[in-house]
Amino acid sequence: MTGDMTPMQPPTNADPKRTGLLQATRRHFFAQCGVGVGSMALAQLLQQDRCTVAGPTDTSANPLQPRIPHHTPRARAVIFLFMAGGPSQLETFSYKPKLAELNGQAPPASLLSGKRFAFLKGNEKLLGPRRPFAQYGQSGAWISDLLPHHQRVVDKLCIINSMQTDVFNHGPAKIFLNTGSSQTGRPSMGSWLTYGLGSESQDLPGFVVLQSGPRGPRNGAQLWSSGFLPTTFQGVAFRNAGTPILNLETPPGIGMQQQSQFISTVTDMNRLRQQTVGDPEIATRIAAYEMAYRMQIRAPELIDLSRESQATLDDYGVTPQEPSFANNCLLARRLVERGVRFVQLYHTNWDHHGAEEDINTDLPVRCQQVDRPIAALLTDLQERGLLQDTIVVWGGEFGRTPMGEERASVGRDHHIEAYTMWVAGGGFKPGIVWGRSDELGMGVVENPVHVHDLHATLLHCLGLDHTRLTYRFQGRDFRLTDIHGRVLQPLLA
Amino acid sequence: MSYRIFGTALVLGVGVLLAAASAVRGGDPIDFNRDIRPILSDRCLKCHGFDEPNRKGGLRLDTREGITAPAESGVAPVISGDPSTSALMDRVSHADPDLRMPPADAGPPLTAAQIEKLRAWIAQGAAWSPHWALAKPQRPPLPRVRDKEWGSHPVDRFLLARMESAGVQPSLPADRRTVVRRLHLDLLGLPPSPAEVASAVDDVQPDWYERLVDRLLENPHYGERIGRIWLDAARYADSSGYANDKVRSIWPYRDWVVNAINADMPFDQFTIEQLAGDLLEQPTIDQVVATGFHRNTPHQYEGGSDPEQYRVDRVKNRVDTTGTVWLGLTIGCAQCHTHKYDPISHTEYYQLYAFFNSDDEPESWAVDGEKKTTSLVMQPLSTPRATHRHLRGSFLSPGEPVAAITPAALHPFQAQRPNAANRLDLARWLVAADNPLTARVIVNRMWLHLFGAGLVQTENDFGSQGALPSHPELLDWLAVRFMTDGWSMKSLQRLLVTSAAYRQSSVRREDLDSVDPTNQLVARQSRHRVEAEVVRDLALGASGLLAGTMGGPAVFPTVAPHVMGTSSAKHDWPISQGADRFRRAIYTALYRAEMYPLLSTFDGPDRDNACTRRNRSNTPLQSLTLANDPAMLEIAQGLGKRLLSEHAPDARQRILQAFNLCLGREPNSAERDSLVRYYQQQLAHYATDEKAAGELMGPMFGTVVPQSALAEAAACVALGRVMLNLDEFVTRE
Repeated sequence: MTGDMTPMQPPTNADPKRTGLLQATRRHFFAQCGVGVGSMALAQLLQQDRCTVAGPTDTSANPLQPRIPHHTPRARAVIFLFMAGGPSQLETFSYKPKLAELNGQAPPASLLSGKRFAFLKGNEKLLGPRRPFAQYGQSGAWISDLLPHHQRVVDKLCIINSMQTDVFNHGPAKIFLNTGSSQTGRPSMGSWLTYGLGSESQDLPGFVVLQSGPRGPRNGAQLWSSGFLPTTFQGVAFRNAGTPILNLETPPGIGMQQQSQFISTVTDMNRLRQQTVGDPEIATRIAAYEMAYRMQIRAPELIDLSRESQATLDDYGVTPQEPSFANNCLLARRLVERGVRFVQLYHTNWDHHGAEEDINTDLPVRCQQVDRPIAALLTDLQERGLLQDTIVVWGGEFGRTPMGEERASVGRDHHIEAYTMWVAGGGFKPGIVWGRSDELGMGVVENPVHVHDLHATLLHCLGLDHTRLTYRFQGRDFRLTDIHGRVLQPLLA
Repeated sequence: MSYRIFGTALVLGVGVLLAAASAVRGGDPIDFNRDIRPILSDRCLKCHGFDEPNRKGGLRLDTREGITAPAESGVAPVISGDPSTSALMDRVSHADPDLRMPPADAGPPLTAAQIEKLRAWIAQGAAWSPHWALAKPQRPPLPRVRDKEWGSHPVDRFLLARMESAGVQPSLPADRRTVVRRLHLDLLGLPPSPAEVASAVDDVQPDWYERLVDRLLENPHYGERIGRIWLDAARYADSSGYANDKVRSIWPYRDWVVNAINADMPFDQFTIEQLAGDLLEQPTIDQVVATGFHRNTPHQYEGGSDPEQYRVDRVKNRVDTTGTVWLGLTIGCAQCHTHKYDPISHTEYYQLYAFFNSDDEPESWAVDGEKKTTSLVMQPLSTPRATHRHLRGSFLSPGEPVAAITPAALHPFQAQRPNAANRLDLARWLVAADNPLTARVIVNRMWLHLFGAGLVQTENDFGSQGALPSHPELLDWLAVRFMTDGWSMKSLQRLLVTSAAYRQSSVRREDLDSVDPTNQLVARQSRHRVEAEVVRDLALGASGLLAGTMGGPAVFPTVAPHVMGTSSAKHDWPISQGADRFRRAIYTALYRAEMYPLLSTFDGPDRDNACTRRNRSNTPLQSLTLANDPAMLEIAQGLGKRLLSEHAPDARQRILQAFNLCLGREPNSAERDSLVRYYQQQLAHYATDEKAAGELMGPMFGTVVPQSALAEAAACVALGRVMLNLDEFVTRE
């Protein structure tokens, strides 16, 4: 990890008068935004303020300043591989021979009771796994033939076959996996993390979103919204076509010194305005300009994949200049290498109901697009010593039903009762399979893991107590895990 | 599927303000829609609601009858006045998790506060009232207020009544300059000229403000500003979307919207012409062009795709868009199954679908024979298509046939020819006097535009999962007035902007931030970033480069090389020359697969579906755009040229002029000092580097600048660039 805990240097010359103003602004910023008393982030900030009073080193007004976690973290960064649409666990990680046996039969009523589905009407028949499975690695985990590269790296994975979520429609379910609530308006996990921990990168946003696949994810920017947290904690989405970040070059006739003077003046002026109108949004804009300046210096190098060896490009399956999930995986490694806290990759069109998104013909295409890059990412992170403190998360907003759907071609409906996600690195036990669904994959029979539990455990690995990472908004302390969530100790190394 | 924005937050926040939390104490009256319906809707109705096939135990809690009639079990859930014998109370508070409702797999048990509310409600007689948005708005009396002066305007009376009961004071009026700029941004989307600000500030007549409002409402740029908001709802774009994103000619529809708004076409007529102008008797060309509204759907032309599937997708898009834009209902949720929360059955969805299922979609329709202008319009098929319910939402599984008719839970429907109801009948039904929704929805969106947030925060969901109105009486009063006033949008806007509430200061107040952080009481104005298009238009206006030409085919503003043309559609972007290069952003070509970067960076919508509210993010990518984008630099050059040529070589004069042009006000001394320092710094630098000065000036200055003034010109550009990057510049205060 290249990031360190030294305070950032703003691109401006700090003078004592302004330093005082910066501190005042920062306190104002957080006080205005209603950080609850006793909340970790404010305590950290106040502590930093005291340090500043004691020593002249900290001249920063940066809300993304690294902050000390609740306990010793096992991980410092997260790469969240979001398979938007809900990938089928039954064709990837959750092997159900009994389902093959009962293919075409009605599901037993006992297994259906109490289950809720988005589209099924109740007369659908069981649909056996469409792919052959085998066991791989020391762990002997089952993986289908759609993920040959995962077969190689299976011993790095902690596969959770007992995931459960609350909502079965894409938009709300995606919001739920990101924010712990199915309603929009809450902060996403990346926002909670940068709020709680700050960012170790002074030159890049703490929370970056990369997108690939046939179309953008539904709900778009709501998925990486900071909700009621200050907007400075929202995700920054790179472009998914052409160059990922535009306008990194200063205009003709403007050198970096002039650019620095420009940013400094804009910042001064914005700060003066903030004194008059008191709008915390101005603090976000000030931080955005300072970040923009630093991105100009660091981002060109970040997005220039030409320094990567051909072997690395081949491992990931990257074609330079051609946007893809593979490119984004490599970019994700480069981002965490540079201290970015939370990188979220969306790859779309996993909604295999049938018709356009046919489970026989389209799911293999989707798997093929992600399989090699993901395996390469895990291997690459490990070889660089990054996997030990980077958590990689794979999964979608839900899984898919054991019953087939009666559409134009073969597919499965949304399933929230039992599906698969996996995590790797960052303190999770490698090479284990956790939780079990019943023999048809209808419900969980062993070690259920709810989305809230996953959130609680991820935060725990990052050094945060999910019950103490709170934000007071409209008279209530909100959490990523709402009032739920258990830390899954057995999954931790 | 519907879900609501800030649902819990709203109940909590407004609840506290409204003293709803105290309602359960000491027998304070429970209001069903405020206190009880949200609990039932969130936690019960998915299984015990309108959706009959999926209803559990024969119990429904979305009607008065359902709540008091015996369910399958033979027990009535609620015994009015007697919580202790009401089965509902027993089940929600049951100690045994197997018997407790909602069941464990549907989330946590109800909270103690929720259970207490239910108990108080039953004890007080279990009053039931229909969902507020489905009851026709009645004009409420103006509430009593203590501050007679502030409360002289009807809008203010309603707001003040709430503020007074919450113990909150309204903010002071914003100063004239701020209000003048606010009004220009809201009504024109352009900055006021220094002369316009000065004349308003110097106007000694008591009605200076009202006259200014009237002037702006008559300015033709008003139609572009307000029209753009409507074009968001209409998902207007200049291309078809999908992989090949074919360029289409539909700009005559865009111009129709601008013209109709400028002419203050009554909203009922505005509705009818867009949904069914082609079905009017002997329609004018304009009335047919107006039907482009529903030709704005994305259109899949790719080879190999099933044309019927994509036609069905377009029809559904039309149904869903109509539901969002006029009714504020998430009708699209009923595509595959009966709506879980609102009274729209699966069958009723396809009954609405039937209105849009019998159209031809000509690829080219001549608007003007001579100029060969064409536009996409709707045309009725000579033989209507039969419509069936799509089982599970799949057009490949047709169910029983259905006829065109509107949902039963809403006001009655009348067709001219009862057996052949068409789009015209639907349009008239949408603007019928007894429609409970349309006027409220439109008034709310206008409020959202002028106050930064809607009276109903979920402006696209007035259903039971949506937020409750913060000021229900005000919303109803405005809706009734809107209709009785002949659906005049200008009149509505005039009413709203002449309120004291609109003219308040937007400066943050610590006392308010603690009790009302989201400003639901409207005790101050909203301070927020302007929309993407306004960012560009403001810069063009301040720099003097703006070309005021209105209408016509789309134009192609400056963009860096290799930015456009990267999608599969491989769009050409031949940068416009001359005045067309500096047209308002509403005329920028909108290609769905490849949006002009400034528009998407500043939260422009995707245009596949109706957008009724712009997101307002604030990112470093926006900073990079304003600071470094070639289109913005060009505008900074224009502004620099203006600062250079309009004033004597005096830094202070130039800074004053830059402030007046960009912010509509004068700098204070700290601001002036900061900019003087910067200007002198740049002047010194460019005096030593003429090459850099020339590069920064670009071609905009031509050859008029003498060698001796190069550094000055460059410093003016640098100064202009700072102005265009200020938070205040892109903010409506």
